[in-house]
Amino acid sequence: MAERVYGYNGVSPSAGKAGRKRYAMVIDLRRCTGCNACTATCKSAYDVPLGEWRISVMEAELGEFPNTRRYSLPKLCNQCDQPSCIRNCPTKATYKHPDGPILQRYNRCIGCRTCVVGCPYNARHFLPDNRRDKRNPRNVVDKCDFCIVRVTRGLAPLCVASCTGGAMVFGDLNDPDSEVARVYRDNKTFTLRPEMGNEPQIYYIGLNEHIADPEFAFHHRSEQLHERYNTFKLNSEVGGEMAGNIVDTDTGPAGWVRHMVRNWASFLKDAPHKFFRGLF
Amino acid sequence: MEGQLISSALHHAPWGFPIATYFWLVGASAGSFVISSLGWVFGVKKYKPTALFASNMAIVLLMIVPLILITDLGKPFRFFHLLLLPSFSHWSAPMIWGSCFILTYPISMMIYSYFVWKKNQKWARILGILAVVLALCTHWYTGVVMQLNPSRIPNHTSVAPILFLTGAYVSGIGILNLMLWIRNRYVKADYQVSTELLADMSRLMLYGIVFDLFLLWNEFLQLTYGMGDEYTMLYDVLLGVFIWPYFYLEIIWGLVLPLIILMIPKINRQLFWVLLASFMCATGVYGMRIWWVMGNFYYQGHY
Repeated sequence: MAERVYGYNGVSPSAGKAGRKRYAMVIDLRRCTGCNACTATCKSAYDVPLGEWRISVMEAELGEFPNTRRYSLPKLCNQCDQPSCIRNCPTKATYKHPDGPILQRYNRCIGCRTCVVGCPYNARHFLPDNRRDKRNPRNVVDKCDFCIVRVTRGLAPLCVASCTGGAMVFGDLNDPDSEVARVYRDNKTFTLRPEMGNEPQIYYIGLNEHIADPEFAFHHRSEQLHERYNTFKLNSEVGGEMAGNIVDTDTGPAGWVRHMVRNWASFLKDAPHKFFRGLF
Repeated sequence: MEGQLISSALHHAPWGFPIATYFWLVGASAGSFVISSLGWVFGVKKYKPTALFASNMAIVLLMIVPLILITDLGKPFRFFHLLLLPSFSHWSAPMIWGSCFILTYPISMMIYSYFVWKKNQKWARILGILAVVLALCTHWYTGVVMQLNPSRIPNHTSVAPILFLTGAYVSGIGILNLMLWIRNRYVKADYQVSTELLADMSRLMLYGIVFDLFLLWNEFLQLTYGMGDEYTMLYDVLLGVFIWPYFYLEIIWGLVLPLIILMIPKINRQLFWVLLASFMCATGVYGMRIWWVMGNFYYQGHY
C-alpha cells in the first residue's frame, strides 16, 4: 500500500518504525483522581486563554444509587497516526513530527479553523486576539504539542510531571524497555473514538465506554453543565471567528434572529481588529 | 446506563453564520449561472434573454464571497498562503481545491459574459461549458469540505454534494427570478423579461424542489436508522434545537410551501405567486446552510 503523505515535507508517522521514536501516552484511569493538576499546569505554562484547553478533565457519575462511581477522563490531543487535522490543513501549517507529536506552525496558519472542524476529539482551539501577553501568537489555531520543547530536552510533558496519582505514563513505545511500552504491553488499553480511523496515540486503561461516547456527553450532561454551557456561549469574548455559538435555551424564531444578529455583530466588530492590528 | 456528565471542556463552534452565508452565496451564484448557460450552452433559446444578467449576477454574488471568507480567517492578510502553489498548498485539503475553483470560476464567467455580450455563439458556448463545470465544482467543494470529516455526523454523507448542488439550483433560480423582476422595473420594454419566462424558470425550480425533498427524505431515513449519534442528531438537534432552520425554514417554508404553490394550476403562472415561491426557496435554503454548518458543532460542544 502506498504510504500516505503527512503535510510538512511528507514526513510519515513513526508508528512501528525502527530507529525512530514513537512518543505515546498511556493514561491509567484507575489511578486518575480527577484533581485537574494537569489542566492547571498546562494552562499556566502555555498561557492557554480563558475558555480554551490543551488538556481538560471530563468527569461523570455513572450507576444508580447506591452503586455509583465517579469517572474522570483526561482529554488531550491524541497525536493521531492518521490525523484528520493535517489532512484538512490547506497550508501545511500543522504537521506530524517524525517522532510522533503533531505540531502547529503559527507563522503559516491562516486561522481558517478547518483543522478544528476535522478533529474528532475537539482537541484544537483558536487563540483569540486579546491574549494576556501580546507577544504570544494570536488569531491562529493552537493545540497540545506533547510539550515537545521539554521532551526533546529529556523532560516529561507537564501534565505527566504534575499528575498527582501517577496515572499518566509518557515515553517511546518503540523502546521495549521504556515504562510506557511495559504498561502498554501488560494492560488492555483503549482509545477514544477508534471508529474514526485516526489511530490515536493516547491509550487509556480502564476506559468506560459511556464516558468515552459523545452521545453520552450530549444526552447526560447535568443541568449545571448545561447552564454553564449557555453562560459560556453568551459571555465568551473570543470574537467573530466563533460566530456559530448558539444558546440552546433560546431557539425559537426570535431566538434564531437574535443569534444571527449577535453573531454577525461580533463578526463585524472583530473584523477591523484583525485587519489593522497584528498584520500577518 | 444511568449517570450524568458533571464537568467537561466546553467548545466553541469554529464556523458559524459567515460560513453559512458563504455557502448560500456560492450556491446562489452557481444556480443562477446554470440558468444563464441554458441558452448559450445547452441551446434552449427561450432562456437566452436571461443569460447575460444571470451571469453578471453570479459574478457579483461571487465577489461578496471572498470578502466574507477572508474576513472570517483569523489572519486575513495571510489568505495568500492559499495561493502559494505548490510550496504551501496541501493537496489533500478540500480547502485548497476550493481556492483553485473560487479563483478560476469568476474569471471564466467574466470571459463567458464578454462573449455573450458580443453574441459570439462559438466562444460563449466553449467558455460556458468550462464555467458550468467550474460552477458545479465550486459548489461541490463547499459540500465536500465538511463531508470529509467522519466525526461531523449529519455532514458525513455522500449525499452532501448533491444536496448542496440541488439547494444551489433551487436558491439560484429563486434569487434570479426576484432580481429579474426588479430589473424589469428599471429597463426599457425591449429588455424586459416576460412573466411567462419567469414562470418557466419556476417550473425548473419545481423539479429542483422535488429532487431536494427526495434527497432530504433519504437523509432523514439514514439518520433515523443510523447509529446512536445519527439518531440523536436527528431527534435532539435537527428536530430539537435546530428545528426552526431545519424543519420550518428549510423544509416547510423553503420547499413544501413553494411546491404547493407551484403545483396549483390556476396560480402557478401568476407573477405574484411565482415571485413568492422564488422568495421562499431562496430564503429557505439559507436554513439548510445554517443547520449544516452549525448543527454538529452544537452537538459535540460538550465532548
